[in-house]
Amino acid sequence: MNVYLLQVVNGIGIGMLYFLLAVGLSIIFGLLRFVNFSHGAFYLLGAYFCFQAVQWGLSFWLALLIVPLVVGACAWIIEKLVLRHVYAQPHEFHILITVGLALVVQEAVILVWGPLGDNVATPAALAGVVMWGDFIYPKYRLFVIGFTSVFAVVLWWILEGTRLGSAVRAGSESTEMVSLLGINVFRVFSLVFALGAATAALAGVLAAPIRGVEPFMGIEALGIAFVIVVVGGIVQSVMSTLWPEGARLMIYVAMAAVLLLRPHGLLGRG
Amino acid sequence: MTTTPPTTAATAGAPLLRARGVVKRFGKFVALHGIDLDIMPRTVHSVIGPNGAGKTTLFHTLTGTLSTSEGSIVFDDHDVTPLADHQRVQRGIARSFQVTSLFANLSVRENLRLAAQGVHRSGAFNGWHRPEGVRAHAGTVDQTLQRMGLEKQADITAGLLSHSQQRRLEVGMALAARPKAIFLDEPTSGMGIDDLDAMKALIRGLRDDHTVVLIEHNMGIVMDISDTITVMQQGRVLVEGKPDDIRRDERVRTAYLGNMITGGRA
Amino acid sequence: MTRLGSHVQLLLAVATVLILPLVMHSGSLASEVLIYALAVLGCNLLLGYTGLLSFGQGIFFGLGSYALGIALTRFDLPVLATLVLAVVVGAVAAMFVGWFAIRQRGTYFVMLTLAFSQMFYFLAYSLSDITGGDNGLLDIPRPALGLTGRPLLELSSPWQFYGFVAVCFVLVFWALLRLTNSVFGRTLLAIRDNEARAAAVGYDVKLFKLAAFAISGGVTALAGAFLALMTGIAPLSSIEYHTSEMILVMTVIGGTGNLFASVLGAAFYVLFADWLSTLWPRWLMLLGFLLIAVSLFMHRGIWGLGETIWLRLRGRPPIDPDDGSVATLGPVAPAAATGTTANTATATTRSEKRP
Repeated sequence: MNVYLLQVVNGIGIGMLYFLLAVGLSIIFGLLRFVNFSHGAFYLLGAYFCFQAVQWGLSFWLALLIVPLVVGACAWIIEKLVLRHVYAQPHEFHILITVGLALVVQEAVILVWGPLGDNVATPAALAGVVMWGDFIYPKYRLFVIGFTSVFAVVLWWILEGTRLGSAVRAGSESTEMVSLLGINVFRVFSLVFALGAATAALAGVLAAPIRGVEPFMGIEALGIAFVIVVVGGIVQSVMSTLWPEGARLMIYVAMAAVLLLRPHGLLGRG
Repeated sequence: MTTTPPTTAATAGAPLLRARGVVKRFGKFVALHGIDLDIMPRTVHSVIGPNGAGKTTLFHTLTGTLSTSEGSIVFDDHDVTPLADHQRVQRGIARSFQVTSLFANLSVRENLRLAAQGVHRSGAFNGWHRPEGVRAHAGTVDQTLQRMGLEKQADITAGLLSHSQQRRLEVGMALAARPKAIFLDEPTSGMGIDDLDAMKALIRGLRDDHTVVLIEHNMGIVMDISDTITVMQQGRVLVEGKPDDIRRDERVRTAYLGNMITGGRA
Repeated sequence: MTRLGSHVQLLLAVATVLILPLVMHSGSLASEVLIYALAVLGCNLLLGYTGLLSFGQGIFFGLGSYALGIALTRFDLPVLATLVLAVVVGAVAAMFVGWFAIRQRGTYFVMLTLAFSQMFYFLAYSLSDITGGDNGLLDIPRPALGLTGRPLLELSSPWQFYGFVAVCFVLVFWALLRLTNSVFGRTLLAIRDNEARAAAVGYDVKLFKLAAFAISGGVTALAGAFLALMTGIAPLSSIEYHTSEMILVMTVIGGTGNLFASVLGAAFYVLFADWLSTLWPRWLMLLGFLLIAVSLFMHRGIWGLGETIWLRLRGRPPIDPDDGSVATLGPVAPAAATGTTANTATATTRSEKRP
C-alpha cells in the first residue's frame, strides 16, 4: 500500500509538470486554434537555459524567474515574425511550420550543448527528503507540486478573472468580434502564444533538477501534453452538455486523472 | 422538356408536405413554437415574416438540415422526420440557401452535375468510371444551365461568378435534383432590379413541374406569384391565406410595423 | 493548379519507377522511396482530396507491418496473402478510427486522430506478446512469391524485391488515379470544397469520408507491410506518432494537388534524408528550415514549385488559382478557396484570422 502510494505521489511530481505543459498547450490551442508542435521545444529551451544559467553560477531561483520570461520573449518574436503568417492557412501548414521550428530548436540545442544531455543539481534549499512516518518523499518534488498548483490557480484567475482573460476567451469564440471591440487582436495572440511558451519553459526549468536535460525531452513531453489536451477536450465537451459551468474546470480534473492513472512506462521513458 | 416523377400523394386534394407541431430548440432558446403547415402540390407557397421570425429555421427543419426537437413532417405520404437532409433529397426535396453555398472551386457545370448526381447517390460510389457519358447527366445539366441563363458561364469557377449569377446557380442546384418540392430561401437577396424580374418569372414558371416553397422579403414578388402565404412571427404562424387576404390583414401590418406590404400607403 | 492529365501522371510514375534503379545504388533505398510514396498517397487521398488532415496514418502503417509480421512468423501464410491481409487490417482500423474522428471538425479532428495514434501506440507497447512490445517483431522472413506452395519469384535480393514493390506500386497508383478521377473521387472533392452543400444535394458525407478513410488505411497498411517485409522487422516506432508526422510532412512537402506530387514528396524526403544525414549530423535542422519555408512560401509543395519554374521557362505567367479562365476540376491549392462558400468549418477559422 505504501509502495503504491509512493508510486502515485511520485507520479504526481512529474505529472504536475506535464500538467503545466498541457495547460500552456491548451491555452494556445484554445485561442489560436493553433495545433502547436513547437510547444515541446519551449520546454526544451526552458530546461537548457536553466542548465546554462546554473553553469554560469546563477542561483536556481533566479533561473526559475528569468528563464520563462526570456523564452516567452523569444516566443513572442517568433510568433510575430514567422508564425503569424500562417494563421490564415489551412491547418496542415500550422503543423508543418511548428514541426519545422521544433526541429530547428532541437538541432540548435545539440549544436550548442552536445547530444548527450546532462544533470542539473537540485537547489540546496530543497535537497533531501521529507519524512512522515513510513512515507519518504523528496523535498524538491513537493515543492514542484506546490508551486505548480499555485501557478495553476494564478493562471486560472488570470484567464477567468481579468480583462485579458476575457479577451482571450472571447477571442477563442470570435476574433472578429473582439477586434471590433477595439482590442488589438494580434497583440493578444502574441501575448497568448508567449504565455503558453513561457509556461512550457517554466515546466522545463522545474523538470531539470528531477530528470536532467537532454535534447529529446521536448518530443516526449509534447506527446504527453497532446494526450492530456485531447482527453481534457473530450471530457470538456462531454461535460458541457451535463454541466456547462463546470466544463472548463474539467480540463484540469481530466488532466489530473490521466496523470494519476498513467501506467508506469506509458508513453515514453520518463 | 422537364419531367418530374409523378407524386404519390394520395389524391389531388392532399398536401404534398404536412408539418405538425414542429418545435425547434437551441438550448434554452425556442426558435419554433409548434408550427403546423400544409403545402399543396404544384403551388407556390411563400413564408414571410419580420427578421427573427424563424423562417429559415423552419426551412432547415423541413429540408432536414436541422433535426426537429418535436413534431412530425410527412412528405409525399412518407414520414421524413427522422431523415437527414441528404436522405430527404432522395425523397424529392431540394433547397437553395440564403447565404450562397456553392462548390466555389469547381466549375458551374461540375456544380450542377454534382447536384444532378446527388439524387442517384448509389451511382456516386462508382470508384472506377469518370463522370462521362451517362454519368455526366448532361441532359439535366444543360437544361438547368439554359433555364437559369448560365450557359455561357458553364466552365467558369463558381466562386468567380457575379453575385446574381451565384444566386441563380443556387436555385439551379436545387432544380438539377428534379425535386418534387423545391425550397428557395431568399433567392433574390442582393439581386439587382434587372435580375429580379427574370427570377420572378422563373419561380412562377417552376410551378408547372414542381411545388415551390419560398422565403422572400421582396413583397412585390411574394404578392404577385404566391398561391398561399404563411406569415410567421417569433417562431409561430401568425396567419395564413391568399395574397389578398394577407395584404389586408391587420395583424400582419402590425407585425411588419406598417407599410412594407402595401407598398407605401400607411 | 491545372489538372494534370492522368495519363501524364501514370507516365511519370512509371518513369520514376524505371529511373530509380538507374540512378541509385541501393535497392533497399529505392524500395523505401516507393514504400513511403504509397503511404503518402494514402495520406493525400484524405488531405488533398477529402480535406481531412489525419495525424493517424502511422496507425495503419504500423498495423500493416504487424499484420504481415504476425502472418509470416506465426502462420506461415504466402506472401501475397499476407499483403492482402495487411490491406484489410489497415482498412478496418481506418474505418474504426474514422468513424470516431469524423464526428469532429477542423483542429479537433486532427487532435482526435493524434489521440488515437497515441492510443494504438500504447496498445502495441502493452500487448507485447503479440507485437513484441518495445522490441517489435523480429526475424520476419522474406519467402519467395508463389502460387499453391510453389515458389515462382524470389524476393531475396534488394533489386528483386524492388521489382516486386515497383509493380505493386504502379498498380496501386493507377487504381488511385482512376479512383480520384471517378465519380467517387469527384464527390470527395466536392465534400472537401463545401460539406454542407454536398449534404444538401444528397450525399451521405459521413459514408464518403469513411470510404476514403478505408482506402487510405488499406494503402498505408500495404506500405507498412512492404517495409516490414523488406527490413525483416516490425518495430514499435512504425506506429508512433512520429511516423504519422513524417508521412504528413512528406505529403505537404510534395504538394496536395495531384497524386504524382505525393511520389515527389516521398522521394524528396527519403533521398534528402539519406544523402544529407551522411554529410551533416544536424541535417534535421535543414529539414526544419525547409518546412518553415514551405509553410510560408510554397503551399503547393515541390510540385507547385516545379510547375512555377516550368511555366516561367516557357514564358507563361504562373498559374493563379483565382484566375477564372480555367475552371479547375482537380484539387486546388488550399489557400485558393474563395469567399464564403468554402467548407463551413475551415471557412470560419480562416476568415476569422484575417486582419
